[in-house]
Amino acid sequence: MRNLNFNRVMRAFVPVSALLLLSLLLSSPAVAQTPAAPQSQPVALTGGTIHTLAGETVENGTILFENGIITAIGTDVELPAGTLVEDITGKHVYPGLIDAWSQMGIFEISAVEMTLDINEVGPINPNVRVERAFHAASRHIGVARSAGVTTSVTTPGGGWGSPLIAGQSAAMMMDGWTWEEMTLQAGLGMMVSWPNPGNARNYARQLGELRDAFADARAYMTAVRAHEAGNAPRHDFDSRWHAMMPVLDGDMPVVVGANDMRQIQDAITWAQEEGVRLIILGGRDAHLVTEHLIAYEVPVLITTVQSSPSRWWEPYNAWYELPAQLHRAGVTFAIAGSNNAANVNRLPFEAGTAAAFGLPVEEALKSLTVYPAQIFGLDDRIGSLQPGLHADLLITTGNPIEYSTRVEQVYVQGRKSDMNDMHRQFFQRYSEKIRQRQAASGR
Amino acid sequence: MMNCCYVKSGLRKAVFGLLLLLLPVGLFAQSQTSPTDGMRDNTPAVFAFTNATIITSPGNSIAGGTLVVRNGVIEAVGRNARIPADARVFDLSGKTIYPGFIDPHARIGMQDPETDLDRGNQPWNPQLRAHLRAEQVFNHENDGSEALRKAGFTVAAAVPELGIFRGQMAVLTLNDGSATDRTVRSSVAQSVSLNRSSELGFSYPTSNIGAIALIRQTLYDARWHHDAHAAFNRNPAGLQRPEYNAMLDALSTAARGERPLVFEAGSDEEVLRALRIAREFNSTLWVRGSGHEYRMADYLRTQNFSLILPLSFPDTPEIGTPEDAFNRNLAELRHWYLAPENPARLAQAGIRFSFTSDGLSNKADFLPNLRKAVEAGLDAETALRALTSQPAELLGISATHGTLERGKAAHFVVADGDIFHHNTRIMDVWIDGSRHIINREPHHNPAGSWELVSSGSLFDGTITLTETRAGRFSGKLMIGEEEISLSSISYDDNARRFRADFMHDDISTTGPVRLTASLSGDRLHGWAEVTGQARINWQATRTAYGEQPEPREHKPLRRDLELANVRPNMEFGRESMPEQPRAILVQNATIWTMGEQGVLENADLLVRDGKVAEVGRDLRAPRGAVVIDAQGRHVTPGLIDAHLHSGVDGVNEVGNAITAEVRMADVLNINNIWMYRQLAGGLTTAHVMHGSANPIGGQNVTLKMRWGALSHDLVLEGAPRTVKFALGENPKRVGTGRYPDTRMGVEQIIADRFQMAKDYRARWQAWESSRNPTGIPPRRDLRLEALADILDGNIDIHSHSYRQDEILMLMVLAEEVGFEVKAFHHALEAYKVAPELAERGIGAVVWSDWGGFKIEAYDNTNYNARLLYEAGVVTSLHSDNSQIATRMNWEAAKMVRTGLDPETALSLVTSRTAELLGIDHLVGSLEPGKDADFVIWSGDPLSTFTIAEQTWIDGRRFFDIEEDAAMREAVERERAELIRLILEVKND
Repeated sequence: MRNLNFNRVMRAFVPVSALLLLSLLLSSPAVAQTPAAPQSQPVALTGGTIHTLAGETVENGTILFENGIITAIGTDVELPAGTLVEDITGKHVYPGLIDAWSQMGIFEISAVEMTLDINEVGPINPNVRVERAFHAASRHIGVARSAGVTTSVTTPGGGWGSPLIAGQSAAMMMDGWTWEEMTLQAGLGMMVSWPNPGNARNYARQLGELRDAFADARAYMTAVRAHEAGNAPRHDFDSRWHAMMPVLDGDMPVVVGANDMRQIQDAITWAQEEGVRLIILGGRDAHLVTEHLIAYEVPVLITTVQSSPSRWWEPYNAWYELPAQLHRAGVTFAIAGSNNAANVNRLPFEAGTAAAFGLPVEEALKSLTVYPAQIFGLDDRIGSLQPGLHADLLITTGNPIEYSTRVEQVYVQGRKSDMNDMHRQFFQRYSEKIRQRQAASGR
Repeated sequence: MMNCCYVKSGLRKAVFGLLLLLLPVGLFAQSQTSPTDGMRDNTPAVFAFTNATIITSPGNSIAGGTLVVRNGVIEAVGRNARIPADARVFDLSGKTIYPGFIDPHARIGMQDPETDLDRGNQPWNPQLRAHLRAEQVFNHENDGSEALRKAGFTVAAAVPELGIFRGQMAVLTLNDGSATDRTVRSSVAQSVSLNRSSELGFSYPTSNIGAIALIRQTLYDARWHHDAHAAFNRNPAGLQRPEYNAMLDALSTAARGERPLVFEAGSDEEVLRALRIAREFNSTLWVRGSGHEYRMADYLRTQNFSLILPLSFPDTPEIGTPEDAFNRNLAELRHWYLAPENPARLAQAGIRFSFTSDGLSNKADFLPNLRKAVEAGLDAETALRALTSQPAELLGISATHGTLERGKAAHFVVADGDIFHHNTRIMDVWIDGSRHIINREPHHNPAGSWELVSSGSLFDGTITLTETRAGRFSGKLMIGEEEISLSSISYDDNARRFRADFMHDDISTTGPVRLTASLSGDRLHGWAEVTGQARINWQATRTAYGEQPEPREHKPLRRDLELANVRPNMEFGRESMPEQPRAILVQNATIWTMGEQGVLENADLLVRDGKVAEVGRDLRAPRGAVVIDAQGRHVTPGLIDAHLHSGVDGVNEVGNAITAEVRMADVLNINNIWMYRQLAGGLTTAHVMHGSANPIGGQNVTLKMRWGALSHDLVLEGAPRTVKFALGENPKRVGTGRYPDTRMGVEQIIADRFQMAKDYRARWQAWESSRNPTGIPPRRDLRLEALADILDGNIDIHSHSYRQDEILMLMVLAEEVGFEVKAFHHALEAYKVAPELAERGIGAVVWSDWGGFKIEAYDNTNYNARLLYEAGVVTSLHSDNSQIATRMNWEAAKMVRTGLDPETALSLVTSRTAELLGIDHLVGSLEPGKDADFVIWSGDPLSTFTIAEQTWIDGRRFFDIEEDAAMREAVERERAELIRLILEVKND
């Protein structure tokens, strides 16, 4: 048994500031947006341009959904009795956006440690499940949603102090009262923070640790399966290795945070040896090893396109151009943001920048919708507009990756979401203050 | 030919003398006041060095000359100088005599410096040590002199080690022994560092900005101290006695320009910083450079200062793996190649300099690096001058040092050839008549052939010894036809002992044979043990001398790369400033004037001499105008960032809660890739700010992105002075017990300091208004002076803030105390007090969409700017982030999504920003008379699909997307060539 770290224990009692914060949160006049009720009657949106991202764009069309599921899209859709028809002539309909890498629900205020549930203790945490800690009333949810994000791949780990194996991510729907009803898919991916190759000795040591963990998990699985087959005595439970079994069976992909060329290549080789499905997260140098990625069909989640290269000699737009380069090379990729839950509204613009620097606009849109859904195996439910898929959609004034576009309404699995997020609540409340002061001063 | 020493004549006598000289005795510089202990040493000290090539001064040499030294002083030098009858004669055939080298900035005698100077009348700040004198704090135990002597130095200026004002340099000889015997000249110059010494504790100043502010303040204090005492001494009646501060007293000579200040510069920017300080105080300036001076030789040649150059060159960049090479910046690769050219390039520019060993962690690298500099193009005569006459003149010792002339001190170097040749060794260094042997030539050399005769003829034969390199031998023994190789061969010349082992196998002896012998002339008198079998005598007679060892191969670095002379010396640096055409006409564009003309479609922009001349339709191109067809393009004013921290060395001075005296303009650094990237995103102007650690922080600087200019040329002339304030969490969380710890305290310390400033202002007003001021003048206090300038409206306040309470607090306090706030920055909750801001005419500088990173930033809304705008507050966006500053048009575009109209949105990064920074008379809109700072965009500047194609500042094109493409190729080519060269070096 390891002794509890004194500092850690103290930390649990010390944070008076965190308690203060809690009271602040409770007493704050503003509250997070109110979740919408589940869809109770068929809804048809008519007259708009429907960008299905699954084939033809339907001009002046109708999209019909019932019980949260799209039932028809076209120009000649028969509406069931009791359908609520909304005329959206002149508007556009797009699939809801997917934030493929996020700390939504496990992050509230970065400088207030007690509001963070990101990195568990120790390097090996395959058993932690992010949806179980998901804060359904986070302020950031409504803000992300009104920017058009309907699904968040909430992912543990990241940043300094990230565990080597950080835990299991989950696809979370951006509307609902509790984590239970918001969970679209638990156990979505196993997050691995690939070690930093800058220090050769540490790199070798940590890779050894990672390989050992997978070997131990495999030994555990062998023992458990042997017992199930009646060939061995019962083996006691190990939460960590038990949680790895879907990964070893190939049912759950491993999401590896890797930016440097060495990290990407080494992760591919490692995943091949382990026989696990790999998704590269980050991928700054992915354009250097496209053939390697293609050869092993490894998809890439590109993070924060709106950033600048770390090497001075690289072109100023090296990262803006990365998605276009991967597209031209034929690498499967999606675009994600910075994982900061407070900044999800920027997600569409990451893809916009990729479009400004050579990625076709349609591809830029798909990199926020179709492709992340495919990469995570969620494309049978979300990512495009097709009958049978969730009614996760946006009504907008234009292309959602364009700055001037406004997202006027969001539906999450057919729920008509509250668009009055915290930012807008503040806007309304203080517009009223301005109005009062101006009235008082006779302006 | 036998490899032998130069003491062929009078061998026995010289050998005796040589043994004596092994003792580190300064024969003639010994103390003249201390009593003699034990037996008096009175060995004659008259020497004649004959048959030498004597370099009497750079460019002047005597072949076959004689140098006569008597009691440490040169008595004669010349081809036919008379050899005194009482002289000890050294035949220096084949040798060259140079004047002793002089190091004008050496780290000798300063090991284990005292950190606590806690007795007597000390300065308040531990970094102020101007009163220390090098010769007084000199520690002569292992003082580092020996390493310098080995490099040919005979005299060095010792520099006190710690602090910002470090103390006074003294010139000492490099003999061993006490400073009393060695001091040539004291208080030669005051040493100044632009950086604090961490050994002296963590207190003000904690940063480069603070260090420079402290330098300024202390120089003023030293002048004041001088004047105050002068006034008091004239007539003390009725006057308060001024403090007597030993440090200020010692500094006053330098502060009044009567003693040089010698700055230690760690970078090219620090050289410029030293120049600026010296200009402000009219000081005599010496600078110990950093080795980067070649980057600005064109500028330095116009400056009046003395340069002391280190010869420390960067290590070969690590490119062990392809990935390592991939990660190396061009800046690093270029400097590795160019650093050895530093002296040559400066000399070509007509800049005089002295060399120093300072900066070299291993002084044994000095001579090799000196030769590298000569290989890289430095003329040998200039190099020698930089080692001898130049530093002698600088240090004020040229009457006695720097050349070899009758009457000067006998400081010289004996080398076995041309000192700039890679194989040349320094044999002896003579200092005041004391000899220091650096490389001893052996009296005998066993190399050659020897006929060996052993008792019992056990192994009679021929030994052949070859000197592989100096003092190392290989050899063999031939017995009849049998060849046996010798191992463990050694020769100790002092003991004249030769040793070698071999394996022997024949009928009578088997096993190892171990030879040892005494070498006398051409005879070896030996003894041997055949291990376990026999002990015998043997003799050998030399039959031939050995060859000199092959000189080690030396391959100078290939110097055929053509690296453009760019500024900054890094990727994407410029060879020259972009041209400023007399006239430019940008045609057929959508022009966002951001002035009264609004947005004009299909319009033209006319620029003359760097200023906007006209915006309108169908303008005529003046003769010779540069015409740009911008069909389908948009043109906007150059973007402005109201809050940035890139391009400066140091952001926060946390050593005091109030630091209005520190100035960001002091620490600009052009070696900043972000500036190029920001230009590429259309940014032309930025307000570079102090950090947020202080309720009242430092003075900011507004600059233009003139990529390729020197730092002082970035500053936007005509921009008002501004100062950073900070409220809320940041200034109170600095910790370490520093007041304040609450928002209450933040308010009080600001209020308190302004009251102090008012008192300060009143003192000065009284002093200046008195007709004929007598008595002690008020002390100039740069901190309070800055606060008084704020009160007088000469410095604009830009205050970091988050919560509405603190924003309101400063507005109210400003009214109570009597100062004005120009704008609140970050101001996440400014929307909550938007009417209050509008009513007072105070601006807001906010983010488009940051929040949630701390508790005071939790009530953020992306509608902040819109609410402020609607309430009538002059509002701007800012980045506070180097990357975001590369795309401020998109920051503005986000505001369109919150409901602002596009022109208003763009004004948040152009015209309104200029207004808040007080530079709207210069930039921020395209109106006649304003600076021609503009951007040509591929389309609507607020669209996600738009990129900047050209960025112009002052009518000069600083960024062009096509030029960028060409520069990328150049960067790749230079990197490839440099990496290839490094691989060649590594594989040699």
